[in-house]
Amino acid sequence: MENIKVFRGIRPAYNMDLILSRLGYKRGVTGIDEDFGQLLDSAVKRAESLCSLVLAYRVVGISENADGTVRLEDGTVLSGQALSRMLSQSRQAVLMASTAGPRIMEEIRSLMDTGRASEAVILDAAASEIADAGLDFLMKYLETQLRRRGMALTKHRFSPGYGDFGIEQQAHFARLLEIEKLGISMTDTFMLVPEKSVLAIAGMVDIKQVEKE
Amino acid sequence: MTREEFRKYFDKGIVILDGATGTQLQRRGMPADACPEKWAVENPEALISVQRSYVESGSQILYTFTMGGNAIKLAEYGLESQTREINRRLAELTREAVAGKALVAGDISSCGMLLEPYGEVTFEQSAESYREQILGLLEGGVDLFVIETMMDIQETRAALITIRELCDLPVMVTMTYEDGMKTLMGTDPVTALVTLQSLGADAVGCNCSCRPAEMVDIIKAMKPYAKVPLIVKPNAGKPRLVGGKTVFNMDADTFCSYAQPLIEAGANALGGCCGTSPEFIRKLSAIAGRFTAQKPLETTCAMVSSNRRTVFIRRDKPLTVIGERLNPTGKKFLKEALVRNDMDKVTQLAREQMEAGADLLDVNAGVPGLDEKKALTEMVRAVLDAVPLPLCLDSSSPEALESALRIYPGRAIINSVSGEKVKMERILPLAARYGAMFILLPIDDSGVPETAEGRIEIIKSVFEAARSYGFSKEDILVDGVVMTVAAGNNAARETLKVLEWCSHNGFNTVIGLSNVSFGLPARENVNAAFLAMAVASGLTSAILNPNSRQLMDIKRASDVLKGKDVNAREYIEHYSAMESEAKSGEVRPARNKPTAFEAVLNGMSGEVAGAILADLDKGLSPKEIIDNSLIPAIQKVGELYEEKKYFLPQLIKGAEAMERAMEVLAPYLDKETAGVMGRKGTVVMATVKGDIHDIGKNIVVLLLRNYGFEVIDLGKDVPADRIIQSAKDNNADIIGLSALMTTTMTEMPKVAAMAADAGLKARIMVGGAVLDREYAESFGACYARDAYSAVKLAESLMRNIGGG
Repeated sequence: MENIKVFRGIRPAYNMDLILSRLGYKRGVTGIDEDFGQLLDSAVKRAESLCSLVLAYRVVGISENADGTVRLEDGTVLSGQALSRMLSQSRQAVLMASTAGPRIMEEIRSLMDTGRASEAVILDAAASEIADAGLDFLMKYLETQLRRRGMALTKHRFSPGYGDFGIEQQAHFARLLEIEKLGISMTDTFMLVPEKSVLAIAGMVDIKQVEKE
Repeated sequence: MTREEFRKYFDKGIVILDGATGTQLQRRGMPADACPEKWAVENPEALISVQRSYVESGSQILYTFTMGGNAIKLAEYGLESQTREINRRLAELTREAVAGKALVAGDISSCGMLLEPYGEVTFEQSAESYREQILGLLEGGVDLFVIETMMDIQETRAALITIRELCDLPVMVTMTYEDGMKTLMGTDPVTALVTLQSLGADAVGCNCSCRPAEMVDIIKAMKPYAKVPLIVKPNAGKPRLVGGKTVFNMDADTFCSYAQPLIEAGANALGGCCGTSPEFIRKLSAIAGRFTAQKPLETTCAMVSSNRRTVFIRRDKPLTVIGERLNPTGKKFLKEALVRNDMDKVTQLAREQMEAGADLLDVNAGVPGLDEKKALTEMVRAVLDAVPLPLCLDSSSPEALESALRIYPGRAIINSVSGEKVKMERILPLAARYGAMFILLPIDDSGVPETAEGRIEIIKSVFEAARSYGFSKEDILVDGVVMTVAAGNNAARETLKVLEWCSHNGFNTVIGLSNVSFGLPARENVNAAFLAMAVASGLTSAILNPNSRQLMDIKRASDVLKGKDVNAREYIEHYSAMESEAKSGEVRPARNKPTAFEAVLNGMSGEVAGAILADLDKGLSPKEIIDNSLIPAIQKVGELYEEKKYFLPQLIKGAEAMERAMEVLAPYLDKETAGVMGRKGTVVMATVKGDIHDIGKNIVVLLLRNYGFEVIDLGKDVPADRIIQSAKDNNADIIGLSALMTTTMTEMPKVAAMAADAGLKARIMVGGAVLDREYAESFGACYARDAYSAVKLAESLMRNIGGG
């Protein structure tokens, strides 16, 4: 784990609107009464208390990037046109992991099994958002450190399974981030357990200063 | 430069700091992947040239190029053994660059890793990493220090404490805030200011991350509490992607247009961070020269902080409540928990007290035979993880207090410093070193003076000693010393006299309330009456049990009567909310009971049973209830969902209420009617082999059942042959499959092919995050976008089949 930095117990700021949006809420159209609002708030707070985030990242060098193939310095090859485009200005990238831990999934299952599916879906959406907010936290943390070197991260990040960046490439991330030490495992079909876990990559880019013409 | 000289330095006007150095060095050839500090040591001309241009542009304080020069950061390049040497050399180079025309600030920043409990670096490892750097910078001849671009208040404390342990030079500290005016770790600007200025920072402020406009708000927030100059170093805007390149989007003129608002908000020093250049500083310097800076305050109110919150203790504001429950004295369960190092009980007590209205929590780990140093530190860690409240560290052990103060990520209160020799000699210096407030307990080595006059003499003498450490009245809470009235007639009166004297002499006060009733029956009455009397005598804070409704009621009422709760605003807010809660509790049962239709429509699972039974009582048949109320209601729920007037949890709540309604009706249904809900068709549902994400499928199952389908749910990770067998066994009309991943959705065509081979008539319906209609149709399946679409699709398939 020498090159991998791990953070535990972070409570990242998450966006309630994004949780609502995951649940199909449409501002100005969907109506929520007071009782339902309370159910929603308390379910999201419960999700927050049941998520014990573990975050990790490592920086990797990019030795080659052409024709939809990105070769990392250790020889790992990642394929995907959109990924390759996102990393086109990067000589280094950062691999990231975020997991909300097992407790939240146990609670979601228990709610489903006891006929409280409406709460279960709220916890499910909140946990997804909180795990994602973990990656936002990592990116902001890294950006602050990179900026002094005249660098930034790409605005977007990519996770295996997006577009033509195949889910099977999750295996490379799992190996490079040693996810088992973070409490995450991967199935034969490249799914992460606990379910609310996400792996991603972002590029490091040089920042230029606006020059007067 | 002495700290006093530094303070006076700001009397002359706005102080101009430097701009970005790293990006300027990159323009002079520094590679992005090089160790910046090492590169600068090896290319001194480049560094000197950049820094000289800042001096020529008007910078009065130059930062050494050592932001990443701590041992942990240098270890990333294998250079940790050269920490001292690199820092010394870089400080010397900056001295050379400024040539006596500006001050040199030794620059320190984050080690790039988070401290415990979030990361793997301990507080002491962090302090040690800074130690070598600070020694190198001191050898290089810096005039002062700057700790900058900090995200974590705890790491900032580690750096500041280490500097203070090694020298008495001035220290400037700037944190970096995200949108929303909090650091990434959740500290707001006022809390950072309170923590840092009490810990000995000589200037505080913000740099990097947010835009200049947001920094105006940060400075505005800090200014009313700032006893030190405020400094600001914004970026040249935010990095933006322009034409395929990432750039800072602000030019020097735009950047400098924020100088005036920043100065008017209270900034005393301005400079630039990422993306700025000597041109920015030259223009800034020209503008700043036209303005006069607002001086820092001489005194403020008493302020105490955690890493996430500041509490103000003021004589003109409502009584501050310090929760007393985290004290094992007389609590067997807490003693046992502390001995077992079981912090669940501790965090539960912390949460309960916060919810009951405590502003601060007193934390005491005094259990005979227990390692108090370790236990108090563990308690502090656990409590701060559970609640954002600042803490009062209650111990007479200097070792335990120092261990807890070191890792306490804010400004704590020490409970207590008395006139006893050992307390004056050991605990008072600790309070000074860690910037803590303290409770002044007016007892000395001869014991507790019986009279108020005796106690006041001790207060004066301890305060005199405290002043020599730099404390002022606002850093102290005087304890009135509450003795039990059962032991002496005058006990309460003498305490009240002390409180009155303190109030007239500008001291904040505190009492440990419950001692007063010790030995008496019905203690709560005595405690409550004494609390009211003490507030009348000028009490500003009390250590009490916030779970006592009576005490909290008396506190709120006393605040109003004493004029501390202006216009009874807090009182009215609190009790109006309670009244409305109570009323809603009374009214609810009387509220018009929902009909069965309304209960399903509004997802009222708890009320639907009553509605159904009422309908049955009225003589409605089960079939009438289903046909005229339940089915129209669940259909309406679906329509509202389609129109997005309902969102997913409301759709599901409707289905849950429907499910409950059918459970209630079940015993009343005849055979024919019993089949009505399953008449639409039979669906075998499964999440395909290899896929473990089944919440979506579970919701579809719930909805289908409540929209009249018979559903056989096979679960997740189900092999194709089991799905086919079940479809055969149950003569299924529809096979519903879900998959979340591209790797598992390929199971779906296999199931479809096997169904065709087996000659099944069942239609295949599929859904899942990565699927689309085209993929589904490629193997003859129908695609459902979401759970409700699956219901609509199933209904439509059944119509085509000829059922439903």
